[in-house]
Amino acid sequence: MNKIIALTKKELHSYFSSPVAYIILIACLSLFNILFFMLIEQNREVSLRDIFQVMEFMFIFIIPLLTMKLFAEEKANGTMEFLLTAPLTPSMIVLGKYFSMLIFYSLLIGVTSVYYFIVDYYGEPDPYSILSGYVGIWLEGAFFIAIGLLTSSWTRNQIIAAMTSYLILFSLYFSISFTKYFTGFAESFFTQLSTRTHLENFAIGVITASDVIYYLAGIVLCLVLTCLSINHRLWQ
Amino acid sequence: MSILTVEHISKNFGELQAVDNVSFEINQGDIVGFLGKNGAGKTTLMRIITAFLAPSSGRVFIDGDDITQHSLTIRQKIGYLPETPPLYNNMTVLQYVKFAAEIKGVSSKNQKVQIAKTLEECQLAHVKDKIISTLSKGYKQRVGIAQAIIHEPKLLILDEPTSGLDPIQVQQVLALINNQREQRTVLLSTHTLPEIEKIAQRILMIKSGQLIIDEPLDTLLKGKEQQDSQALPITLEQIFINHHQAPTSVPSSTLTQSVSHY
Repeated sequence: MNKIIALTKKELHSYFSSPVAYIILIACLSLFNILFFMLIEQNREVSLRDIFQVMEFMFIFIIPLLTMKLFAEEKANGTMEFLLTAPLTPSMIVLGKYFSMLIFYSLLIGVTSVYYFIVDYYGEPDPYSILSGYVGIWLEGAFFIAIGLLTSSWTRNQIIAAMTSYLILFSLYFSISFTKYFTGFAESFFTQLSTRTHLENFAIGVITASDVIYYLAGIVLCLVLTCLSINHRLWQ
Repeated sequence: MSILTVEHISKNFGELQAVDNVSFEINQGDIVGFLGKNGAGKTTLMRIITAFLAPSSGRVFIDGDDITQHSLTIRQKIGYLPETPPLYNNMTVLQYVKFAAEIKGVSSKNQKVQIAKTLEECQLAHVKDKIISTLSKGYKQRVGIAQAIIHEPKLLILDEPTSGLDPIQVQQVLALINNQREQRTVLLSTHTLPEIEKIAQRILMIKSGQLIIDEPLDTLLKGKEQQDSQALPITLEQIFINHHQAPTSVPSSTLTQSVSHY
């Protein structure tokens, strides 16, 4: 566990020692704030449902920018050899990097919790639906990060890693749009595959086992595939 | 007692044979010079010994343990400096060495003492708060060695630690390696042949993936002197040149390129 913590700390240091982390934090929060006030102004609702859906869409663009360097940079700089010849298992390396990104993402999400207090000041929002919305957006971000980590493990080129993440995330997000072309199992499959289907429930205050399992299974699958990707390269 | 046993190791990358049936043993406390032209297979073999690459055939034992079965235990016993020092340029020297200590399992109780000792040994104490990217190449190489020895490994593997250094930096790095003699076994590849003559007890030479020399340095030099009718003092450099004058059929420059995915 100490080794995973060391790797997490190293990654966090790497984010915060460059201006990229601060630029992304400030840019995201500025954008969220503008959209939050626009949506409140337009809907006149004491609810964060729409802002969660906007955040979901924004994270498709933002998260690959954060995750693209996780492994690609190590490979390009030759430090991957250092990690893989140290007494570390691939799962330690993957978890260390994953947790660091999750902490950064939680910080970003955590700052937006101020929206609850703003709507609470002006009305009586349902705290449970807002809480479930935050659980949903956190799980979705955690899933996106796992996808970004996986694509970063496939290449030493950060741009290719980000583009591959975009391809996967857009496919997941827009898969629900394909349902009109299918019926029966295929329609159901594309509906269930889409992240929009699952976040919608969280955003209206409904937490179902199938939605939670969707995200957790996706996270575990991506992390396992990342470990296998590293292990495969290690023993080529 | 043998700390490293390499048994019939071969490594193919597609049709290219990077290492061809190499076997040798290294005893505890030796400093062994591992020589060969660029692309001869030195880096590939070192990567196999450090459990970074799997061999196509053959086995490697470190301190009696097979690397394919006890990879994690073995990595604890090895300190490895790749050809390009694996440094995080945005960290300070102290942060980097501390990180290396943490991931290499140095207990938190001993960490402070061990870091101070390593920094002192590598003559890095006065630059410990400097950002690595601002250091000269010689210092970066020493930081690389510091991460390799921080966990007190039994076997230290150094891939061209003097590459690209000026003569004074070469002397400093070799002195540092020589100081390891009493504490650990060292296998180092280098092209700095006159200097390696001063510190190595044994020479391994590899050509086109095959081990062509495995002898104690004294025997190698004396043997050649006796064979030489003109009785001129023979140097390691001359031996190296003699063994590499014949053209090789293997496209040597492609050997390490094919494994450069990391």
